[in-house]
Amino acid sequence: MNMERIKPHLPWLTLVLLVALVGIANPTFLNPAGLIVLASDVVPLFIMALGMTFAIYIGGIDLSVQQLANLVTVIATVFLMSFGIWVAVLCILAGALFGAVSGFVTTRLYVPSFVSTLALGFVALSGAKWLSGQRALHMDAEQRDATFGWVFERTLGIPNELLIAAGLLAACWFLQSRTTFGRSLKAVGAGELAAVASGLNVDRIKILAFALCGALAAISGLIFSVKLSGGDANLANGFLLLAIVAVLVGGTPLTGGVGGVLNTAIGTLIVMVIRAAMVYLEVDATQQQMIFGIVLIIAIALTIDRSKLKIVK
Amino acid sequence: MYELINVDKRFPGVHALKAVDFKVNRGEIVGLVGENGAGKSTLMKVIYGSYQPDGGDITIDGTKVRFQNPRQAMDHGIGMVFQEQSLITNLTVMENIFLGFEQQFVSFGVINWRKMADAARAQLAKVKLDIDPSTKTSQLSFAQRQLVELAKVLTLEERIDGDLVILLDEPTSVLASEEVELLFQIVRDLTSRASFIFVSHRMEEVLELSDRIYVMKDGEVVDVVEHDKADKESIQHKMVGREVDKEYYREQKQKPYDGDRVLLSVDGLGFAGRFADVSFDLHAGEVLCLVGTEGSGREAILRTVFGIDRPDTGSVTVKDQKITRFSAQNGVTMGIGYLPRERKVEGIVAGMNVYENMTLSQMGNYASAGILRIGEERALAEDQVARLSIKTPDIFKDCGGLSGGNQQKVVLAKWRSGGSEILLMDHPTRGLDIGAKEDVYDMIREMSDEGVGIILVADTLEEAIGLSHNIIVLKDGEVQKRFTGAPGSKPSLYDLVHHMI
Repeated sequence: MNMERIKPHLPWLTLVLLVALVGIANPTFLNPAGLIVLASDVVPLFIMALGMTFAIYIGGIDLSVQQLANLVTVIATVFLMSFGIWVAVLCILAGALFGAVSGFVTTRLYVPSFVSTLALGFVALSGAKWLSGQRALHMDAEQRDATFGWVFERTLGIPNELLIAAGLLAACWFLQSRTTFGRSLKAVGAGELAAVASGLNVDRIKILAFALCGALAAISGLIFSVKLSGGDANLANGFLLLAIVAVLVGGTPLTGGVGGVLNTAIGTLIVMVIRAAMVYLEVDATQQQMIFGIVLIIAIALTIDRSKLKIVK
Repeated sequence: MYELINVDKRFPGVHALKAVDFKVNRGEIVGLVGENGAGKSTLMKVIYGSYQPDGGDITIDGTKVRFQNPRQAMDHGIGMVFQEQSLITNLTVMENIFLGFEQQFVSFGVINWRKMADAARAQLAKVKLDIDPSTKTSQLSFAQRQLVELAKVLTLEERIDGDLVILLDEPTSVLASEEVELLFQIVRDLTSRASFIFVSHRMEEVLELSDRIYVMKDGEVVDVVEHDKADKESIQHKMVGREVDKEYYREQKQKPYDGDRVLLSVDGLGFAGRFADVSFDLHAGEVLCLVGTEGSGREAILRTVFGIDRPDTGSVTVKDQKITRFSAQNGVTMGIGYLPRERKVEGIVAGMNVYENMTLSQMGNYASAGILRIGEERALAEDQVARLSIKTPDIFKDCGGLSGGNQQKVVLAKWRSGGSEILLMDHPTRGLDIGAKEDVYDMIREMSDEGVGIILVADTLEEAIGLSHNIIVLKDGEVQKRFTGAPGSKPSLYDLVHHMI
């Protein structure tokens, strides 16, 4: 057994190990009802990570997703009254458009995605501050319940929120593994130059990947906003690091081409378990990001494909 | 003095060096020859410390040594003159010579440039190069840069105790013949200061310069020949392990092409700094070879015709349709296939399996409304694997794990099954073993029979002559001469070389 053979299985092994460890230390953790609540809590994060997967799968990254989600919480709260359910469409379109702009800047203006999305993230943040007037906005409770109340109901005992996440996961998995678009994403991530030489429109594929990432970040922001019944420019803060951690510990390396959305599902569950464990171990909330920062570095160091990187700057 | 004993090196799937014994005596020039993939570069990397051997010993004057990196090898007197020159072109000559060793000229934290210039001049004198050490390296000719590189390595002489061994990796590949002579004279003179290991694919040069010649094949040293007993034919024989004859390039299978069917017409094509005013027609069933030295514009022409690069002037017409938008995407749509030189980077996608690679350029044919018909893709791959006898355990195997020859077959299968009638092949046999090369030659003949037009940049001149109907000789991006080559009346090597340099 060598490392290369074990590597693809590391994520789920890690998950099983972590669940077992936390379960032994604290048997109440394994209570199904509690687990469902925990899982529902990470749904917005999961959807954001799902989008992030596409950006990382092609070998890029999208650092704007958190700010984009912030912006969407504000948009959703401001326009819920006038648009009703259509506010969802508005949010998703805004997210997709924003992601497409990131893709455009990256591919056509040759700005590396980590800089282009970082910069555009500040644009989104600023937009959110401007639109919200720097205040925490609240949704009209009645309107919220009438339009989005169903999200928090249960079907056959399972929260609809989880079903939405599962539905999106299935759709993304289908897109990734059964469509020409998904195949193109893999080709761009695993061997961009060969993809170009095979006649693929690599720029368009990348722009679409970032658009998809933006759309999913918007859905994430929307659900989070509805969940907290409000919006402000800092609401989704803290999501970015966790979303990247979820993708990477799931086994999609920064170099792209390997892994995918199912890996991200596992990665998100790992994040969930670590977060739960920190609560049991009474790790101070202020220290959690510290832990995740370290986890992120370990995950990158373990997953990255060094043969693809000649120089790291 | 410097000796490798029983050195072994393995990479995943490849036994690159098999129990290699190698020895360099003081003041000796040792030649190293072998085909692409014979293990020359791996051996060199072991010698200068870039690779660590898996087995065997490296000794200097009988003492065992182990290098973790090239710097440690340098400290033991092993220097390397790189083929892709390692000088930094925006630095001056003296900065390059003492790169990383400036400390000796520093006083109070400031570099004493005059002192460095004097020291550089002393180094340049060793290689008889009379230039101002404060010249920017980019202003030098290739030959001069080669000598600067050599001078840089010779600084080891002052820096370390003990003997020097200097590796010269294809030092003549970009030099004109009189420059080669000059370099050889310098190297001979320098044997009082150092031993040399000379690696080249130009057999005549190795024969001329070396005291002893190591012949490598498939990771083994198959023979060590003394200078006096060296004979080109027999060395070549040992390198390939068989006679190179007309059969080899399938000349008997070469049939006349269809002169009435023009597939591709290139007219006055030019790309600033690469090539200018190139015109030719490619006919159905024709193999057209572009011949020239490295940088003569061969590859650039292929890339432009395919569409990856955009020309500045001239036009490309494919089947009576003039190309207006140059992109690889458009090239593929027009029925052009491209076998790039960098097979592992541009040819196949490592990380994708056999059938995914085969349909990459033609996913539209295997999808309805964007949803892939994976069953059909697999059927295609099974069929092609059987037809081209691609050696792979199954079609789900990662293409990056296949051998070079089989990767090349996958790329060929991709274009052929996609219906490409024009194939641009850039060094299709580079790094393949003999058997795989012969497979590629067979495939080229089969494609010609089916009416495919092929533009080929061959790995060797012999290959170009053997395979082609027509040859265009290029020099500095300009067409020098055209040859036709029906079997039996092919141009000779010397006919071509004469126009190349």
